[in-house]
Amino acid sequence: MSSLVKCPHCGLRPKEEFTVRGEVATPRPDAGAEEAVWFDHVYLRDNPRGEHREYWHHSGGCRRWLVLSRNTLTHETSEVVDASTLKTGGAA
Amino acid sequence: MRDYPLNNRCAFPHPDASGAGASINLAPVKDGFVFHVLGDAKSDEAALRQALAKVAPELGDDVRKSSPGQWFWVGSIAVSDVRLAEIQAALTDTFALVDQTHGRLRMVLSGPSSRTVLAKGTMVDLSTDLFAIGQSAMSQIGHIGAMITRVEDDSFELIVLRSFAGSLWDELQHMAAEFLTG
Ligand SMILES: [Zn+2]
Repeated sequence: MSSLVKCPHCGLRPKEEFTVRGEVATPRPDAGAEEAVWFDHVYLRDNPRGEHREYWHHSGGCRRWLVLSRNTLTHETSEVVDASTLKTGGAA
Repeated sequence: MRDYPLNNRCAFPHPDASGAGASINLAPVKDGFVFHVLGDAKSDEAALRQALAKVAPELGDDVRKSSPGQWFWVGSIAVSDVRLAEIQAALTDTFALVDQTHGRLRMVLSGPSSRTVLAKGTMVDLSTDLFAIGQSAMSQIGHIGAMITRVEDDSFELIVLRSFAGSLWDELQHMAAEFLTG
């Protein structure tokens, strides 16, 4: 993994300050969605070769949840944003 | 608000036995207060300073940002429960205060070698041109979470959770060993 992550609040910090939660899942399905759709959302994860979006928690710094784009092949991180910016009006 | 009175007791076994050397000194900050200030998503530091100057001018406005909408407000004089309640009441609509005086300790590492000593434990760049006087960073020293603030030219104040203060104190003594005399 790249050893420095650019937190939008704290600046460049070592990865040791962060806790990785994993893939940013697809938007939450409707409550009444089919079982297969829910199963996919809860359990099935892609394991992409290349760009990957992940939740990272800046546990050793500002303690904000971030969304980070990481290339699983080169371990380069590109965009890092606060997770609150993902909130959209329509999504439940 | 507190349900029972708190004793402000120093967390260090030998608080005056700071590692004094020609180029390094470590000392606890024994008096004063640490308040955690929480604002909403839209709150900003200028508004906070303005509010504090109006509500509690005697306590100063030394606020250190820890996260978006969150600060540590520190000062050198003791604040009574009654006074704290008054301040909170005056700030109600905008900022919430949590007294952390008992929970977070301050210590000051100073001297020409202080930057070198801290660099052994933190990965924040403390160079004079990047980390200005008054600037703060919430980070880690080794594995211990700490807020580092540059208070003077070669002087850094560390805010650490009380239960980790003893460990950090010991660790800093080790980190500074090469600069200690006698
Ligand atoms: Zn951060």
